[in-house]
Amino acid sequence: MKDKKGFFPKQFIERYEKFIPDFDDFLDVMLEPLPRVFRINKLKAVPDDVLPMLDDLHPEPLPYIPFAYQVKNGAGLGRRLFHFLGLIYIQEAASMIPPLILDPKPNEWVLDLAAAPGSKTTQMSAMMENKGLLIANDLSYHRLRGLIGNIDRMGCLNVLVCRSDGILLARKMPALFNRVLVDAPCSSEGTIRKSNQALLRWSIRGIEQFSRVQKGLICAGYQLLKPGGRMVYSTCTIAPEENEMVLAYLLKRFPEAEILPIAVPGLRTRPALREWNGEHFPLPVGHCQRILPQDNNTEAFFVALIRKPVCAAN
Amino acid sequence: MQPIDLLRKRFGFPPDWLNGLELKAEQETIFVATPEAMQFEQINPLRRGLRLCRLFPNSVKPTTFAMQILGRTATRNRIEVTEEQARLLINNGEIEIEADAENGFVIVCWRSFVVGVGLYKKPVLKSHIPKFRPVD
Repeated sequence: MKDKKGFFPKQFIERYEKFIPDFDDFLDVMLEPLPRVFRINKLKAVPDDVLPMLDDLHPEPLPYIPFAYQVKNGAGLGRRLFHFLGLIYIQEAASMIPPLILDPKPNEWVLDLAAAPGSKTTQMSAMMENKGLLIANDLSYHRLRGLIGNIDRMGCLNVLVCRSDGILLARKMPALFNRVLVDAPCSSEGTIRKSNQALLRWSIRGIEQFSRVQKGLICAGYQLLKPGGRMVYSTCTIAPEENEMVLAYLLKRFPEAEILPIAVPGLRTRPALREWNGEHFPLPVGHCQRILPQDNNTEAFFVALIRKPVCAAN
Repeated sequence: MQPIDLLRKRFGFPPDWLNGLELKAEQETIFVATPEAMQFEQINPLRRGLRLCRLFPNSVKPTTFAMQILGRTATRNRIEVTEEQARLLINNGEIEIEADAENGFVIVCWRSFVVGVGLYKKPVLKSHIPKFRPVD
């Protein structure tokens, strides 16, 4: 037990053993490699086209995400012919949940506010059947190059790529979108199973810096929504400062915003925290959900679904 | 003849090819996207949809990624290859193949999927597929 805990910064353990249930299981799973997961690109193929090509990998369908499969030994999956053809996209299972909850429809106007490298953008483009408008925005030019490469390979015709500060976008085009995804830049604690980079960079100061950025982005995303529109806020991190506290901030700035309950059949989630470090969160924040690695053998994620009331002023 | 008509004729695309999509020329490239993505004017984007083709003085070259999603209905100047040949072409090689195709740009197919674009000069088919990570 001591060795296991020794892998993580002391403050990390102290913070999270307070509220993560089954903490031993959590630490065990965090030290295991992630299973390889991919989804079939519905814009180009159906499972019957692709699955026979993957017979040697024995893909198993994920019960909670349509067209997504897990393989035990997926080494080299990204160097296979069907990957080049854009028939599959390798994407961590928990990362597919935010688009699933946002549920964009064909012909809608959708904004992915922090889109690079494009996993969720290309997933949403497929959900929209390559129709309507999907704006993929990111601030990092370097990361946008990777995003464009993924859009090309997946064949997305409804995507418009732009590079802007999310807060500037909200000033330029308020109340324009049916749906907005704010998959915010974060301290990435949930990705430790994939790479220990997040642990090497981990600090309370870093968490606080991300929290400030996230508060700006969630408000921008809300302003970009049409009345009646829906927004998903998500992170791949555990820190309450980057999750529940960001939602509480949104409700403080926009008290009319509604946080809706979330349920994904087949996916085990845990409700958000009610308080952290003495700060009690408004009741609706409890509708947000945490995805813990030990529950579904995934990364850790946090997801919130927000609705802008029809009567909301812009 | 307009570039799109040239593509339609060379590859035998049906009359409704690209129906419901819009085109925009920027310098020597034509982009293809949904009308909503093409007409959105509130911001200055880096990219709208996909690059459909490049214009050269005497020819029009379709792009690999546009053909992968929009090129399956080609009936002319498409060359079927084996899985091994597809890999060679993706890894920027060239193959020798006797095919019922004219010299010039061709659409390379494997099973029902478009692999990409090649340049055929009988009997050599040279890859014009963008450099990507090697395929095993």
